[in-house]
Amino acid sequence: MLKKDFILRNPLRLMGHETEEILTEGEFGAVLARAGVGKTAFLVQLALNNMLRNKNVLHISLDDPVKKVSLWYEDLFQNIANKYNVKEADQLWETILPHRFIMTFKIEGFSVPKLTERLTDLTEQGIFFPQMILIDGLPFDETVRKPLSGLKVLAKNHSIHVWFAVRIHRHEKPDQDGMPLPLSQIADLFEVAIQLQPIEKEIHVKALKGGTAPSDHPALLLDPSTMLIKDTTGNIY
Amino acid sequence: MKNDIQNVRNIGISAHIDAGKTTLTERILYYTRRIHAIHDVKGKDGVGATMDFMELEKERGITITSAATYCEWQDHKINIIDTPGHVDFTIEVERSLRVLDGGILVLCSVGGVQSQSITVDQQMARYKVPCIAFINKCDRSGANPLRVIDQLKEKLGHNAVAVQIPIGLEADFNGVVDLVSMKAIYFDGNSGEHVRIEDLPQDLLSEAITKREELIDAASIFSDELTEAALEDKVTEDLLIAAIRKATITREMTPVFMGSAYKNKGIQPLLDAVTKLLPCPSDVENQALDMNNDEASVSLSSDPVKPLVALAFKLEDGPYGQLTYIRVYQGALSRGDTILNVRTGKKVKVGRVVRIHADQMEDIELIPAGYIGALFGIDCASGDTFVIPGISLTMTSMHVPDPVISLAIVPKDNKAGNNMSKALARFTKEDPTFKTYVSDETGDTIISGMGELHLEVYIERMRREYNAEVTTGAPRVAYRETITRMAEFNYIHKKQTGGAGQFGRVAGYMEPVAGEDFVFENKITGGAIPTQFIPSCEKSFRKCLAKGPLMEFPITGIRVVINDGQSHSVDSSDMAFRAAARGAFLEGYAKAKPVIHEPIMKVVVETPTEFQGAVMGSLNQRRGMIVGTQDEGRMCVIEAQVPLADMFGYSTVLRSATQGKAQFTMEFANYRQVPQAITEELAKKAAEEKKNVA
Repeated sequence: MLKKDFILRNPLRLMGHETEEILTEGEFGAVLARAGVGKTAFLVQLALNNMLRNKNVLHISLDDPVKKVSLWYEDLFQNIANKYNVKEADQLWETILPHRFIMTFKIEGFSVPKLTERLTDLTEQGIFFPQMILIDGLPFDETVRKPLSGLKVLAKNHSIHVWFAVRIHRHEKPDQDGMPLPLSQIADLFEVAIQLQPIEKEIHVKALKGGTAPSDHPALLLDPSTMLIKDTTGNIY
Repeated sequence: MKNDIQNVRNIGISAHIDAGKTTLTERILYYTRRIHAIHDVKGKDGVGATMDFMELEKERGITITSAATYCEWQDHKINIIDTPGHVDFTIEVERSLRVLDGGILVLCSVGGVQSQSITVDQQMARYKVPCIAFINKCDRSGANPLRVIDQLKEKLGHNAVAVQIPIGLEADFNGVVDLVSMKAIYFDGNSGEHVRIEDLPQDLLSEAITKREELIDAASIFSDELTEAALEDKVTEDLLIAAIRKATITREMTPVFMGSAYKNKGIQPLLDAVTKLLPCPSDVENQALDMNNDEASVSLSSDPVKPLVALAFKLEDGPYGQLTYIRVYQGALSRGDTILNVRTGKKVKVGRVVRIHADQMEDIELIPAGYIGALFGIDCASGDTFVIPGISLTMTSMHVPDPVISLAIVPKDNKAGNNMSKALARFTKEDPTFKTYVSDETGDTIISGMGELHLEVYIERMRREYNAEVTTGAPRVAYRETITRMAEFNYIHKKQTGGAGQFGRVAGYMEPVAGEDFVFENKITGGAIPTQFIPSCEKSFRKCLAKGPLMEFPITGIRVVINDGQSHSVDSSDMAFRAAARGAFLEGYAKAKPVIHEPIMKVVVETPTEFQGAVMGSLNQRRGMIVGTQDEGRMCVIEAQVPLADMFGYSTVLRSATQGKAQFTMEFANYRQVPQAITEELAKKAAEEKKNVA
């Protein structure tokens, strides 16, 4: 199993994103779900997919320490490798690892100027040039538009696209368009929104905005045991 | 000597470098009246703290050897092992933890849980050592013990619960509130020796009540009695302490104490906690392996009447000969006893038995089960088990990592040469991670260990303690060779040059194997190679591994399978098949895409945020791959994987890049393939060296 085979399993192809890039420069994507449903797992799979295509991913976590974020990557990579019986997974892992950079902040310590400063540290010294950013743990409250607008500028300046994990709550009703509350006021900033919805024992992957699955494709699910994305026929991606 | 085992505590003090554990130990010894004056680690008075008794430690302000010391508090006998904080000496820490029943995890109230605290905590977990935490330096600016408690929970996963809260902080730090007795404790006198207990200050009352409730909540999970008492609002001190103790011993709770060792505050309550909350030797179950019964594990009981089982956990060369620190797990060890070293099978007679207090000692008659003491004139290595003749139990062996760095040393003159040999013999006995051998090619003495500092310290010790001046070569990294794909071989060794001929054919394949150094498999059928020659083949393959054909580094991770061959009734011999296997190996190896692997270190730097860019730059320049950065307010932690070969002299670079405000720890992570450019450089260097030797 080589990188190429992994790439073919890009799950979002099945959501109508036939091209390699789901988001283009400066665009935002959101993965929405309730706590514990699998937002981080989903984001990490997007990241792994990019890393396998030699694209640099900057993973920003406002919740977890570096060690825990690394564990997510290791576990999910190992799960995929086991599923496909990859013999030289260790070697493959080492070749993709330099494409990832983890930054963690305290929630109260995170700000766009600070991130810009860190990013400059990295790029000016030629240490790391991210092509995709994941932000996990940013609170999507009423004040979020400001940092998001700042991030939008940052993303455009650095030609980066950004994915966010957005936590939604059971008691909050979606708006008229079906958009969950945290995103309803700021949906204009996002090009793609995907919701992970637990229905009985399965977690369904549902496109809320951007990209519609062709009807002949099976729906996507997140396997709760391995946290890997699969389709309804059981194929893992 | 009173021998009530309930009143014995064998504890260790573990922490990140500079968290203040030596100062803390010093204060403990002062309050327990083992010493009569207090000295600092970096002693301005030129005396130095009592526990850092090696000259070198005094100079560097770090603790290298874990000296054992003894003291008494409230009718309890406490043996303290002062453990080194630097990761280069981790084997010392691990060895100490092996013999401990409990530990004090010292954390800095400003720095909090630092990278080394994580390593030490993992080691404590490995040996299941229950611990209490002491948040030190509450007088320093930026002190925030509550944040440290959160870090204990988040970073180390401890169920950390405050048993005290501070009265004032930073320059106003005055004392602590004991949440069990709900009293304020102050420390008066020049050295804090007078403990004054008062009622709670009004301004802390509501915080103290909340925190006490949290403590009771946390402890009541482990005691039904306490839960009932809490419901009826009848919680007594004894009930609460019993519940906390129960949870502490099972490592389900980490009670947190606070103070400032340097300012003599909070030490006496900590000592009370050691006696009240940490386990006595009989609370801990220790296991030994029965050598006569396929190494089945046997539980030991700390009964002084049972047959003796004791572990030598530390050796030191003192002015009166070898001093062996020993922990007795079962039975008792008395002067004049004859004991058996299980590893060597030799019997030895016990001469002097002493109790150690840093570099002073007192003679005692015996060491009963559960105690730590020292013996004189016993020839053994560190980690040896002693028993009474007739039983053969051994304490489980300790995990010893392979060395990752080596250095050639040459004595300045003949006298230094003799002294150097003595020193090396001693060091290798004391420290299993320190190894030495003589290079076949250059005739140089090579020493190897766990890091640059590790070797440096031994070189210094050679000079100071053994008067052996040596010059050192450049440090060498322990590179390895390995193959990356399967390759077949089929080699015929044939020689007919008069006299007896030589003939042998060896065929098969080799392939990479993970997690093993060498695997040999014989799949010969039909006697293509006669059975008696198979061991010759294996031996020859094994010999080839010592020095790889690529660059003469040892080969690891290889599986050799032989499945065919040929022999001659007259000309085949052990020698012929050895030569054939060697030829076969070289043939296969060349086709198997051999590569060089180098040790990669996990480097963790803690630096003030303003230097983050500079530090990342310095790591990047050293071929480092930065795994991540963790922002923690004023400080940030950078984790990277850097080849050991590029880490030499990093401490100086880091110091100058950060005005000395950053610190780093380094430990071995894994082996990884060397990039092509570096391989070429290595090849060039190897060729040059060969030329020089020739």
